[in-house]
Amino acid sequence: MASSTISPAPTSSFINNKDLGRFCFSSASQFSITKCKKSTVSKKIMSVMAPQQSERRPATTGSVKNAMTMTEKILARASEKPQLSPGDNVWVNIDVLMTHDVCGPGSIGIFKKEFGEDAKVWDCEKVVIIPDHYIFTSDERANRNVDILRDFCTEQNIKYFYDIKDLSNFKANPDYKGVCHIALAQEGHCRPGEVLLGTDSHTCTAGAFGQFATGIGNTDAGFVLGAGKLLLKVPPTLRFVMDGEMPDYLLAKDLILQIIGEISVAGATYKAMEFLGTTVESLNMEERMTLCNMVVEAGGKNGVVPADGTTFKYLEDKTSVAYEPVYSDDQASFLTEYRFDVSKLEPLVAKPHSPDNRALARECKDVKIDRVYIGSCTGGKTEDFLAAAKVFLASGKKVKVPTFLVPATQKVWMDLYTLPVPGSGGKTCSQIFEEAGCDTPASPSCGACLGGPKDTYARMNEPMVCVSTTNRNFPGRMGHKEGQIYLASPYTAAASALTGYVTDPREFLQ
Amino acid sequence: MAASSISFSPNSTFTTSRNPKIKPLFSHFPNSLNFSTAASTPRATIIFSRAASVVPRATPVDSPATNESSTTFHGLCYVVGDNIDTDQIIPAEYLTLVPSKPDEYEKLGSYALIGLPSTYTTRFIDQNEMKTKYKIVIGGDNFGCGSSREHAPVALGAAGCTAVIAESYARIFFRNSVSTGEIYPIESEGRLCEECSTGDVVTIELAESRLINHTTGKEYKLKPIGDAGPVIEAGGIFAYARKTGMIPSQN
Repeated sequence: MASSTISPAPTSSFINNKDLGRFCFSSASQFSITKCKKSTVSKKIMSVMAPQQSERRPATTGSVKNAMTMTEKILARASEKPQLSPGDNVWVNIDVLMTHDVCGPGSIGIFKKEFGEDAKVWDCEKVVIIPDHYIFTSDERANRNVDILRDFCTEQNIKYFYDIKDLSNFKANPDYKGVCHIALAQEGHCRPGEVLLGTDSHTCTAGAFGQFATGIGNTDAGFVLGAGKLLLKVPPTLRFVMDGEMPDYLLAKDLILQIIGEISVAGATYKAMEFLGTTVESLNMEERMTLCNMVVEAGGKNGVVPADGTTFKYLEDKTSVAYEPVYSDDQASFLTEYRFDVSKLEPLVAKPHSPDNRALARECKDVKIDRVYIGSCTGGKTEDFLAAAKVFLASGKKVKVPTFLVPATQKVWMDLYTLPVPGSGGKTCSQIFEEAGCDTPASPSCGACLGGPKDTYARMNEPMVCVSTTNRNFPGRMGHKEGQIYLASPYTAAASALTGYVTDPREFLQ
Repeated sequence: MAASSISFSPNSTFTTSRNPKIKPLFSHFPNSLNFSTAASTPRATIIFSRAASVVPRATPVDSPATNESSTTFHGLCYVVGDNIDTDQIIPAEYLTLVPSKPDEYEKLGSYALIGLPSTYTTRFIDQNEMKTKYKIVIGGDNFGCGSSREHAPVALGAAGCTAVIAESYARIFFRNSVSTGEIYPIESEGRLCEECSTGDVVTIELAESRLINHTTGKEYKLKPIGDAGPVIEAGGIFAYARKTGMIPSQN
């Protein structure tokens, strides 16, 4: 925290001058939904509209009359309201809109149909387009969809487009990143206090940075592309307080599987999930992302972790955009508060076919498996591979089932080949994986997490049993409808690979 | 099929009647976003060219969105269980189809609910068919959970489905259903997926919030669709916003 150049104190002013300036500007131009060419006319007219600013007051912690949660505060600021309550419907200014190759073409289609063939997006620096789903495939329509994104980005002068042209070698594409939610974080698009919308349900991952982030459909995204704002309902907040020292055989994946098992796959529908407590404070950014990533598996609208020194440190070399974190007031009203003593938890899995079908990993030790998959926005980050490598290293053994590794992004892939694994005497993850007999790390993308085109690497084309670090295990998720998916942490996935059965990682880590 | 006093044709019918009561969805946010101001700007360049084949199936033709409507759906129902996720509604391998392209929209429809496990021996869409014969889907809790793919309500609508009746919905699916106007996502009061069977003939009377199962002769209460109804009837948020004057119309 001390190293940060911004003012992270919870008591900092809710609105600074820069924000006021931005809002003035936005009320003058962003309300226009006509094409940019005509904006000189519309600006003059729009400026007559009275921006709602006189009522705005500082509203962070301290002696405030109307206490709010951090989700409410972010939406209040973005909707230029002094305060909000759960259930309020407000027009929210969007800081970043992300789309990818699966939903981008449809969103663009709606944008063009509704705003006109010559329309311009509301802000070409706030639209982030990340091809990541169906990249390394010979499926012509999938390839065409990336072409549609490229044409649109050229036409609209989109600043942040992470393109890929040479599909035979991803390394030949310096702009290509990979899985959008991880790329957003690594490229500095996730910032505390902001509003991020994406055409992907796991957009909620970015809540790890103390921002409001949620998934939307093509039609809503088409609207945002033209208008820069969206009507959103303010969610009530469920609070999850996790205290206690994290045992060294647990990962954030175990924590979120614990929570989903507790509240069910619909337990947080329409709600925000706020994570805090000493355990959460001890988690690095990638682990916090895992926690927020799966709030949608509980039906949640967004997940959020208060920004702190860990957050500011992560952002230091990633963004130069000024941001201002907000925090829940002490007196804020939460729908329900759940408390967990993390030191008492054990490694978990979610059995087929639902993410809330929770069981202890050791209870499933007789479940024979056919393969292990480590990848995706949930479990394909650098820390996830380091965790898997730690188990392989501790065992010194070889895997008994095919073990597929799909780094989320090009940066993660690089880390596997360059970062020394702690306690290994300087070995990299890739060396450890090779010694353990895993498949060579594949090209970064969403891979087989969601099945995808038939020729997708590691897709389940047979009715097999898989232990996976991904996020969903509904029927057919990874390809075959009769396939069985056990969701687990990278520790549990690696341990299971070593035995060929669902395995508690304590068998190797203790 | 049990005898029923209500007659129906083999092809399902779709009728609406209206009253002139105007009830704009966003009327309680007077200061938030004044769409109508934009009407004073040049707008001749905005092209409205919705191809006929992309008109959402739930949309009655030529209906003014400003009217509150009493809509009736009638046809065969297809019954599913709890937590029908988006991978079962439209598996990811079909997501290369872009819903805003008319031919691909039709194709998406032909894959609706193809991801249901083989335990569903009666399929939603018969082999080699593009459309379903089931106009109404009846599900349990948390219908449409999972991904944010708008392809899910679009596939159902493109297949010829007009309404889903479920105990509850996942948030993004519900929102996508309304904003596209593809299907009516209606909540049931009880657990209708255990009361009805696939192939039953049902009628939904939206204004009365009622479902009649003609096969069993029973009636059930539904939760009101509320302000979402006129948006779906108009054909989605853009069409609704134009018809109510929130944003400029196309001509």
